[in-house]
Amino acid sequence: MQTEAKQGWLASRMPGMSCLCAMLRERRAPGASWLAVLPALLGVLLAVLLASGAVLSVYYNPRQAYASLQGIAHEVRGGWLVLSYHQIGASLAFALLYLKLFHTVLVRGYRAPAEFGWMLWVKLLAVLLLTGWLGFVLDGGAGGYWSLFNATGAAMTLSGFPGAVAMWFFGGPVGGATLARLLVFHVLLAFCAVGIILMARAATRRAQAVPQGRLVAFWPVYAAQYFAALSVLALVFAVLLGFAPHWGLGAQNAIPASTMVVPVSISYPWYLTPVAGLAGVFSGVAGHIWAVIAAVAVLYALPWLDRSGGAPPGRFYMVLTWLLGLDVLALGLVTAFPMGSGLPELLTFWFFFHFLVLTPLVTMMEAA
Amino acid sequence: MMRRFFAPLLAVGLLAGVAAHAEDTLSPLRFQSAGTFGSIDLAAAQRGFAVYQGVCASCHGMDALHYRDLQALGLTPAQVAGIAASVKLSDGSAATPDSRFKEPAAMSMSGAVPPDLSSIVAQRAGGTDYIYRFLTGFGPAPAGVTLLPGSNYNAAFPGGQVFMPAVLHDDAVTYADGTKATTAQEAADVAEFLTWSADPNLSARHAVGLRAVIFFVFLAIVAMLTKRRIWRQEG
Repeated sequence: MQTEAKQGWLASRMPGMSCLCAMLRERRAPGASWLAVLPALLGVLLAVLLASGAVLSVYYNPRQAYASLQGIAHEVRGGWLVLSYHQIGASLAFALLYLKLFHTVLVRGYRAPAEFGWMLWVKLLAVLLLTGWLGFVLDGGAGGYWSLFNATGAAMTLSGFPGAVAMWFFGGPVGGATLARLLVFHVLLAFCAVGIILMARAATRRAQAVPQGRLVAFWPVYAAQYFAALSVLALVFAVLLGFAPHWGLGAQNAIPASTMVVPVSISYPWYLTPVAGLAGVFSGVAGHIWAVIAAVAVLYALPWLDRSGGAPPGRFYMVLTWLLGLDVLALGLVTAFPMGSGLPELLTFWFFFHFLVLTPLVTMMEAA
Repeated sequence: MMRRFFAPLLAVGLLAGVAAHAEDTLSPLRFQSAGTFGSIDLAAAQRGFAVYQGVCASCHGMDALHYRDLQALGLTPAQVAGIAASVKLSDGSAATPDSRFKEPAAMSMSGAVPPDLSSIVAQRAGGTDYIYRFLTGFGPAPAGVTLLPGSNYNAAFPGGQVFMPAVLHDDAVTYADGTKATTAQEAADVAEFLTWSADPNLSARHAVGLRAVIFFVFLAIVAMLTKRRIWRQEG
């Protein structure tokens, strides 16, 4: 066939191409769950983010961030749509990533030999959280400015190697050129995320058992499933785009940053609220930083915290995992709508208690 | 755009009612821009611009707007040129349609700086409604409230005290379309105008959004059915 001849021509001249083509042609076991399409959808959203980000970066001016974004929304033809694509793309990418991580924890998809893939998904979370925060800061809004002010102020108190890294990243206390610097990292990390997601998908696939029995081709069986999932995603995207473009982003960042007006509390986009809540529980610069690092680290260490060997997940573990999901959700909510003191502390405690104590105990018990 | 979808429905059910009360959006208060399928009421926004220009602009800037942007409210280029020509910029020259809205002289009301109004509706909880409630919320302080020197009581403002005085009053402006310029009418009109400036594409966004949603609902249904059929045959 013509196409195969072309593929052969390319494969013999460019290493890696045959591998890409094989990925599409490989035969799979029938009847995979809808959740198996999440990585592909996440990849599509990252592509939307890169494309819309490329357009935004042409008009964005980090030295007049707020004014340039207003210009994009008011003056650039179709700019308001591209800006919305970027904001909604980010929201949905986080939603899908949180869903993917939750599901993997629920079905214990992180255990060997899939632990390498799991570690890549956690890395993707860390990279996207940082990218998302940078995007929030790049808005030039009041929330982003004061969040950056706190972050740079905190970073400047660090010494030794962490201090050097912070200095390299922020370039000193927040000033006129800080956003120009952070824009570079925002873009760089976004491309890193694409690389990580490709690796994570490949590693997760390799870790799956070699399918036995009757196999089906990607086309048309899985193509139909991917297309159906993609059209549902597009529907959700269109609903947000048309009727709730700023959902979960908060009104605070719509106010231009002012060095003279300090907000009572910083409101983050919904996808950063659990992390912000968790960091806020610990006091001091080192507290905030170590809290976030520890939260990512316990996720990273999950394959070793799980002591079950190969036993299937028990009911008690499932209940606890759902509880953990609710815990993270609640942590985000109490950060966005402060209520009752002690609640963030309790929810943060439960997060670490779940991973460090309950997970090893329960998995050991259920395996026994 | 929305009119085209809903015109037949409205014609069937609401013809008499809508025709009789088309102008009365104040009792009860109703903004055409509000709601899922809302669109900017261009006539109200034009009147709102008159209120902004006549009253608000002496203290508040709107630096995201150019005079030419007013064409989106239905003004002709000649009308926009006329409006711009009547504005004297700070360097003494007359504005052109391509000038940004005139920045008022820097001022402070007992230390409070009047905010830029370009995106005020997006920046305040409650949006359009809040702007209306704020502008109509001035009044004598209730018993037991002690005002700071220079501040005014406003029921809608968080904390109840604001340094901005009550600036809207009946006939503060004269409307070109003959609408009676009551305080409430002026407040509602300027709220609609500020809603437009904070989201100039609100009408287009809702229209595009509705079409996209209808399209993707059908696409998703077709894709789901196709998937089920293929999986029943081959899966």
